[in-house]
Amino acid sequence: MMPETTDVETINRRRMNVVLGVAVLLASSPILISYFVLIASSFTNQMITGGIMGQLIFTLQNWVLFFEGKLTVTAASVLSFWNILHYILNTFIVAFGVMIVVTVLATLAGYACSRMRFKGRKFLIQLLILLHAFPGVSLIIAVYALYIFSKQPLPQNLWTFYAFLYVIVARAALEVPMDVWIMKGFFDKVPWEVEWSALIDGASRIKVWKDIILPLVKPGIAAIAIFSFMAGWGALIYVMVFLPATEKTLATYIAGLLAGGSLEVVHLPIVAAAGTFYLIPTLAFFTFVRRYMLQTSLSGIKG
Amino acid sequence: MVSVRLEKVTKRFGKVVAINNVSLEIEDGKLYVLLGPSGGGKTTTLYLIAGIYKPTSGRVYFDEKDVTDLTPAERNVGLVFQNYALYPHMKVYDNIAFPLRLRKEPKSKIDSKVHEVAKFLRIENLLDRYPHQLSGGQQQRVALARALVKEPSVLLLDEPLSNLDALLRVYIRAELKRMQQDLGITSVYVTHDQSEALAIADKIVVINKGVVQQEGTPEQIYENPRNVFVATFIGNPPMNIVKGSVLEDGTIETTGSRLTPPAAMAEKIRKLGLKTILMAFRPENAVVSEHPMEGKFSPLGELFEVEPLGRDAVVTVTVGEFVIKVVMPTKEAMKLRIGSKVYVNIDPNTIKYFDPNTELNLEYIEA
Repeated sequence: MMPETTDVETINRRRMNVVLGVAVLLASSPILISYFVLIASSFTNQMITGGIMGQLIFTLQNWVLFFEGKLTVTAASVLSFWNILHYILNTFIVAFGVMIVVTVLATLAGYACSRMRFKGRKFLIQLLILLHAFPGVSLIIAVYALYIFSKQPLPQNLWTFYAFLYVIVARAALEVPMDVWIMKGFFDKVPWEVEWSALIDGASRIKVWKDIILPLVKPGIAAIAIFSFMAGWGALIYVMVFLPATEKTLATYIAGLLAGGSLEVVHLPIVAAAGTFYLIPTLAFFTFVRRYMLQTSLSGIKG
Repeated sequence: MVSVRLEKVTKRFGKVVAINNVSLEIEDGKLYVLLGPSGGGKTTTLYLIAGIYKPTSGRVYFDEKDVTDLTPAERNVGLVFQNYALYPHMKVYDNIAFPLRLRKEPKSKIDSKVHEVAKFLRIENLLDRYPHQLSGGQQQRVALARALVKEPSVLLLDEPLSNLDALLRVYIRAELKRMQQDLGITSVYVTHDQSEALAIADKIVVINKGVVQQEGTPEQIYENPRNVFVATFIGNPPMNIVKGSVLEDGTIETTGSRLTPPAAMAEKIRKLGLKTILMAFRPENAVVSEHPMEGKFSPLGELFEVEPLGRDAVVTVTVGEFVIKVVMPTKEAMKLRIGSKVYVNIDPNTIKYFDPNTELNLEYIEA
């Protein structure tokens, strides 16, 4: 039987969608299964792994224990609810700190790289890409040395505050080059004429930037905000190296549970609960910012 | 409303000279068209008037006031860009209100002004839409409304019609001209389309290679171009150029035909000592026929092609090394046979003479 469509260029849309859907599902199945195991395990009495499906019991106990700071069902608490809350707060401080520093710097620098003509501009832009290619870990010794030197003159009661500041700035520094590059691309798409129009209408340079240019690059800002938030939220090595041992974030807390022999002691579903909780803000933040990412429209300007 | 004066203005971008020592006066309340090929410097001139560019040397005056060092806002100009440059994230109302809000005018006054200009340009029903929801012609009106709402001293238009389709262009062209006359606003209009320029201009300024080639009314520019560039840029098709040699007796010989120029012109040619000369004539000032006509200058050529365009046809004839285009009634043109020998009968009174070295029209030269 002949297919209904005879046009050469027409692909059967519905069949195409089914094929694509299955392909995407297959390709992402390892990740989907991992997340499923993690999230489901946090609500059961033991880890969901092969062969024991029959003995699973639904429970919220893991979540209660996680917030109480317990690592096993029976043993006494090493930590309290306040410690966990403290870690969560620390994670937010680092994540939002990195996000703010990166977003502000990358937006300003991206504008400069896109719009201003200065000496060495081209070289700088090429350097940005190169900088991004350096893994952050390779810099850690130098960054640590700088940390030790710079913190000496400060009074001791400021050291914790300085440690946070240092982690945020150091972690942000790794993100900035790529995000400057991304923002430059967004600024490049805004035609000069729009800026000139506003200048002729009587706006100051700052006002043009704030009221005309920024709204047009909102999707870019949303994108780098997400990237940098996630970078801060997931920061592990820099947090471990610079923050004092008592100041953990969720990332270092969970990493700590899985490292150094504690794996045999802890009740893994509690770790699963911690891991699931660790996912929530990222998902929430992503959902919130996503609608700005798709909001791009430069029409009304014919090229 | 003001008059605008450029005084010996030069603008360089690095090593490139975009505008070279241009002096120009734009009369109060008139519509001036800056006409020229792209890259010729006309948009640069417009931006210099707007204040987007600062001249490398020279001064810009609005009336007697030196505005060279003033910002675009302080000059109070309205500018419509080729791509309209509307603010995509603002509704039409906010686009138009933007310049007024920056002036901190009271809300009620802004509202009445926006509605007034919107009514004038017939876009009142579009005020709460976003630019991307509008057609090209509508976006163009919004851009115009935004430029007009601040009651500028000068209205500047940078190729405002080039993004519209051909039919709409002809309509809006007439509307623009009418609007300019109604408001009596000093306007500078940039275009590369010579027919657009001829249609709407009070005065045309032809600019090429950063230099003013000629300034005058559309009629002057069309009838009596100052140099070969203007002659071959204006008109559709433009002027035909034929090279001839000047003989001892003052007549001019080209491709086997002889022409006796008017006595005054012959005298001028003799005084300038020209051995060769360029003759130019408009396509509509000649007729192609199988026999030479009385009282015309009639070089012999071969009919290459006939393109009927409705009432008139463009007839292409090769005469020696020259390709000549003639516009004549289609009915007459269709009687001719492609490839046959034909005469191009040129009205000798319409022929313009140019110096082949300077490419200047001899009528503009004192001899």
